[in-house]
Amino acid sequence: MQANRGLADGVALFLGMQSMNMLDMVHNLPEFCVQRDQERCIRCLVCVQQCPYECTYYDTERDAVWNQEANCVACRRCEAMCPTKCITIAPRSAFRPNYHWQPHLIRTGHKQGDTGGVVLTGCGNDKDYMCYFDRMVIDASQVTNPSIDPLREPMELRTFIGSKPEGYDLKPGIARTNGEYGPTPPNIQCEMPILFAPMSFGAISYNFQKGLALAARAMGTFFNTGEGGLHPDFYPFKDNAIVQVASGRFGVSADYLKAAAAVEIKIGQGAKPGIGGHLPGEKVTREISRTRMIPQGADAISPAPQHDIYSIEDLRLLIYAIKEATNYTKPVSVKIAAVHNVSAIASGIVRAGADIVVIDGFRGGTGAAPAIIRDHVGIPIEVAIAQVDQRLRDEGIRHRASIIAAGGIRNSADVVKAVALGADAVYVGTAAMVAVGCTVCQQCHRGKCAWGITSNRADLLPRLPADVAFERLSNLLRGWSHEIKEMLGLMGINSIESLRGNRLKLRGVGLSEQELNVLGIQQAGI
Amino acid sequence: MKRVYPIESRCIGCRLCEVACVVAHSRTLDAINSFRLEGLVFNNERAKGFVDPAEASRAGRPRMTARCQVSPSQPYRISIRCRHCDDPECVLACKNGALYKDEEGRVLLDEAKCAGCWMCIMACPSGSIQRNIHRANVPGVENNGINHHCDLCADLGSDTPACVRVCPVAALVFEDRDEAADEMKSPQQQQEAVRAH
Repeated sequence: MQANRGLADGVALFLGMQSMNMLDMVHNLPEFCVQRDQERCIRCLVCVQQCPYECTYYDTERDAVWNQEANCVACRRCEAMCPTKCITIAPRSAFRPNYHWQPHLIRTGHKQGDTGGVVLTGCGNDKDYMCYFDRMVIDASQVTNPSIDPLREPMELRTFIGSKPEGYDLKPGIARTNGEYGPTPPNIQCEMPILFAPMSFGAISYNFQKGLALAARAMGTFFNTGEGGLHPDFYPFKDNAIVQVASGRFGVSADYLKAAAAVEIKIGQGAKPGIGGHLPGEKVTREISRTRMIPQGADAISPAPQHDIYSIEDLRLLIYAIKEATNYTKPVSVKIAAVHNVSAIASGIVRAGADIVVIDGFRGGTGAAPAIIRDHVGIPIEVAIAQVDQRLRDEGIRHRASIIAAGGIRNSADVVKAVALGADAVYVGTAAMVAVGCTVCQQCHRGKCAWGITSNRADLLPRLPADVAFERLSNLLRGWSHEIKEMLGLMGINSIESLRGNRLKLRGVGLSEQELNVLGIQQAGI
Repeated sequence: MKRVYPIESRCIGCRLCEVACVVAHSRTLDAINSFRLEGLVFNNERAKGFVDPAEASRAGRPRMTARCQVSPSQPYRISIRCRHCDDPECVLACKNGALYKDEEGRVLLDEAKCAGCWMCIMACPSGSIQRNIHRANVPGVENNGINHHCDLCADLGSDTPACVRVCPVAALVFEDRDEAADEMKSPQQQQEAVRAH
């Protein structure tokens, strides 16, 4: 069949036609249609230059711009750059409607028949699981309790992340932790309950990570290096960096641990719970190989488990090894994917000594993951936050760690709902990418991002300059902060701390009694 | 004197500067009209690199280049245009006196005087002069186009040239630089200055 394939390709090339190839069903049945209004097209060829997927080309004979539609991924870069707005991207012809065999399933089947491989993808779970954020509504003050006007009265978004003492003695600076007196545990100070999610240099571009770092510094929050190490150029941003120690230990060194504001042990990722990180070799450029300390062009596949952590006791050893290495000056975070029994796992993590528990829901994004895992493994972040918060409260250890919710936070209302369910703060990844132009075309794993967000290829990198990323990310945080303040004000609350775990401020709409119980909220109307 | 400077590290090679240039110098100031109705269309040879110019004319429509050119050779991208040199070789080479340096320092063209001899093209050290095949000044002689180079959007009613305004990643800047001082610097220093920018 390989020979057959070669022949078919050769004939297609020779005749300049697109022949049916039984080993290329994906290209026989393109997913998208690029409609170009030829009356408006001025043949400036901007779209041809901008398309990194070899979809758009110029035909000199007809003097027309044309498309190899099978290659279109609907990133809409051509549409955005077109000076006459003559391009429309639309879904192409439908398969015969079938509720059980949805188009994406047929397409995946074709793709696997073509290649026999594991189908990779980027971004978060895009399947139609119910979103609990969309089934929760926020309370507001009316008559019996006054709302607060955030434009005229102070409103506090500052969040301290880390372990809190059980209490304070009368002597200043002496805190009681685990029944013993000592200095206050280290906390990181965040001007808003929003941090940038772990996205490694490699998964994202140099410029985008620099933009994250600049925005984090300017807005008083934090960016997270992901598991890809910290590029030497980003050490000046160390006070706003959370560094990750993942199973691959990419780029981990003593300097790396000492540089950061906090250290995060990555156990799992919401997009692919139970498996390690993937950075396809195509994306491992010289700079990335330097930062990760791996060969150029080699796949960076981190192991599924941390091979020195097979139990809570092992985790405790690593947490305290890092605390010793950093002289107990930095909070240590443990990031897990939201899975069944997450509350018991989180309880173990807190008892192991973690100062921060990060829970990453199944909508969380990724630079590359098998689609089958992204779409079918893990649980929604909303129920995970509620369950973890409740369990830690019941056990009387909630103060010993902050909870950061990650995976699927889309707007400021999601932030407010996550905090009301019990999170201290949230990580935003995809939302930050969208702010700088991402259209969620899910091609991050290919290293060809047309918007320059997830590619380090020399010709694509300048499409997102660091200063533009910085400005747009700062705008996002500024906008969300204003919105969160407004929402706090209308609830009659003047500090984000008063909202944390305040589930009375939420009501469920269209949820079953069991779901309401799991979320710990009441039915709307009560 | 203010000049347009490209920043190579920022350029994404999209060529919107070329589109903006053609539109800004068109009669209708509309992208679709200026390209489709006024006949001011790119030379389509550029799509495939260098192809027989006759092929372009076979395509039916007379085509015209923008006054700036984005280098088509990947991965190097840069938008090039007339430098408006302090001692312009083209002005010296112009036998008709069509090219002149105005009081602000811009190198401009008196279209009525240009005979289309292309000595300016031969003389230009930066290769930033094209042929404007839409203008003929010598009746009866087969015309291959008169001088066509960046005029910094002189007399087009805006302080900033169109290409600088349209660039989506701010890879073009319009500013007054001390070029004499720049030339004194070593190439390494110059590169650092560009990077710092």
